[in-house]
Amino acid sequence: MNSLIVFNLIVSVFAFFVCRAKASRLREKHTLLVASNTHWGWYGFLNVFIPTLVLGVLIHYVGIYFINSGIRSSTALEFASHAEYLLVKENVNASVILILDEISQIRFLSSFIVIISYLISGIEPALLAVQSGTTIEHLDLVVLALKTKIMALTATLVLGVVIALMQAQRSINTVSANYNAREKVEFVIISLLGLSSLIAVLTTVGIVISLLSETINFAMMHSIVDFLFGTVWNPQFTSGEVEGYGSDLGILPLLWGTLYISFVALAFSVPIGLYSAIYLSEYASDRFRSIAKPVLELLAGIPTIVYGLFALLTVGPLLRDSFTQPLGLGSNSDSVLAAGLVMGIMLIPFVSSLSDDIINAVPQTLRDGSYGLGATQSETVKNVIIPAALPGIIGAVLLAASRAIGETMIVVLGAGAAAKLSLNPLEGMATITAKIVNQLTGDTEFESPETLVAFALGLSLFVITLCLNVLALYIVRKYREEYE
Amino acid sequence: MLDTTVDNMIEEKPKIIARDVKVVYGDKEALRDVSLDVMDKTVTAFIGPSGCGKSTFLRCFNRMNDTIANCRVSGSLIYDGQEISAHDPVTLRARIGMVFQKPNPFPKSIYDNVAYGPRIHGLSKNKADLDGIVEKALRRGALWDEVKDRLHETGTGLSGGQQQRLCIARAIATEPEVLLMDEPCSALDPIATAQIEELINELKQSYSVVIVTHSMQQAARVSQKTAFFHLGNLVEYNDTGDIFTKPSDPRTESYITGRIG
Repeated sequence: MNSLIVFNLIVSVFAFFVCRAKASRLREKHTLLVASNTHWGWYGFLNVFIPTLVLGVLIHYVGIYFINSGIRSSTALEFASHAEYLLVKENVNASVILILDEISQIRFLSSFIVIISYLISGIEPALLAVQSGTTIEHLDLVVLALKTKIMALTATLVLGVVIALMQAQRSINTVSANYNAREKVEFVIISLLGLSSLIAVLTTVGIVISLLSETINFAMMHSIVDFLFGTVWNPQFTSGEVEGYGSDLGILPLLWGTLYISFVALAFSVPIGLYSAIYLSEYASDRFRSIAKPVLELLAGIPTIVYGLFALLTVGPLLRDSFTQPLGLGSNSDSVLAAGLVMGIMLIPFVSSLSDDIINAVPQTLRDGSYGLGATQSETVKNVIIPAALPGIIGAVLLAASRAIGETMIVVLGAGAAAKLSLNPLEGMATITAKIVNQLTGDTEFESPETLVAFALGLSLFVITLCLNVLALYIVRKYREEYE
Repeated sequence: MLDTTVDNMIEEKPKIIARDVKVVYGDKEALRDVSLDVMDKTVTAFIGPSGCGKSTFLRCFNRMNDTIANCRVSGSLIYDGQEISAHDPVTLRARIGMVFQKPNPFPKSIYDNVAYGPRIHGLSKNKADLDGIVEKALRRGALWDEVKDRLHETGTGLSGGQQQRLCIARAIATEPEVLLMDEPCSALDPIATAQIEELINELKQSYSVVIVTHSMQQAARVSQKTAFFHLGNLVEYNDTGDIFTKPSDPRTESYITGRIG
């Protein structure tokens, strides 16, 4: 492949300059061209580059298809399972790569070298050289694969060269006044842009699908009713027992922990964030604002693991020593309160910065109107600015809530690992995110409900935060329309 | 004969007396030594090209320039026998109402918009009292008939002209003595403009109205006194008829005939 790309690029660049030069010559003769010289250049470039690239990829996959079907239909081996077939395929491919590397020691233009040396001396010398070091399993299959591979490489290179040259010739001949090369070039550009946006969307869809399929796997092994409505979270990692029994995998204690900690975080961060936003946007002097706002936004850039350490090492022990133990309420340093407070600190800049933007978006004419009627500044804030900004502020709070629910590191470090339904904020509780981490780390068997439940938890979390985000965006958008 | 003299004497009593008013934004002088008297029960128009200082001067009357950080006002502005700078801005703005260029109803119901001023100044004793104030203000704002059945709908849902009349009703609900209008029709179509102008004509029976306008025709239609501003100076201040028929300053003449501006 790589030899082809090098050659391909050379011909493409050549086509670019020739087409451009030809277009510019036409222009000098006072012909009015539909496309600009640069468009013609790119037309030549793309006309050579894209077909040869597509051809290379196509032949590559056709080759792989032949190798795979060769392995599958091999009479010497009867595959007991799909996994066994995959293993053989893996081995053969590794050997092929080893031998190819032996033939061509240098990477640059390697396929060219491979073809030349194959034509001169065949594959035996390289095969022997590799065999002297290691034994090659399924030798016949490897030889077959190797030959197919080299054939594919030859086809790619020969066809690639022919097509590149043909396309170059064709595009140079196309250069004329009336042909709309601009449209073609722009179509390629638009396609590239569209593809980029599709990648983000498709990735999200892919994540959801993989979550969904693993959740379905989980649902087949474990009662979904127990998962959704069970009040006990008690996974058993002891192997040897009958699978699926022994473990209670109810989401409710985790959901409760998640919501409880998020509630503490929001109860702490929303008033403080909102008040700081009001102060910054309405009362603070320009100088204070110009210092305070960047500092506040700096807080938003601190990695959450640092907050987690803060919860684990500072806030948790502080609460225990100054509050929990002296009052005889327990001896936990992991607690809902510690994790909630630290998460609240994390959310303050988030709430404050969003609310600040929203309050600033309230038109100055409304403030003037209120002042003009003799309202004081605080009356204006209370009666005009907050009501006008309220939908936006609610949206900001919902966004903060969805961050709190999805937050992981702070709760893993600060809230403990005990899943329980309790009202006491000084006890440790586990959240959905913390349990996902728990279930997937450590040495566990993948195809067991105890592991797969992580995906079900992830899907639940995804659904909750998705609903919150959609609601928040809906509210924020509705509010924006009001002043336009 | 005697009647007209008495009438004149009442009219001639100035409501606001401005002497050598000067406004500076940062280091830029926006208004230079302006002296004029605003009469009671009269519509006074401020005209002049953009940036001539007419809006700035208007905003001195109810101390709206206070809300701009680097703005300084000097000279003397006397309202009700006292320097405006010595008045409490809150009560001052209740007595000198203002209507802005762009209709700016609060995102509240029509009722709450009008009741805003009376509520913050505690002008009503009970709900029935407040209802009365709101109705009276909306009637004087020539909006009552259009909105009486939907007082609790949001004020931002009204048309532009209705919104501006709502803002006028909101401003007169606090029973001000002076009403300042900063280009109140610049965002409105001709029909809504005509309605507002008619309203201004009504309002001058009880208030002193000061209106800043870009439209000379509007000044000629609604005002009795006109002040022409140019580059931060008060060029000419006289009866509206005189300004438009026999201006004494060549700059005024150039402006009203359309040669500058």
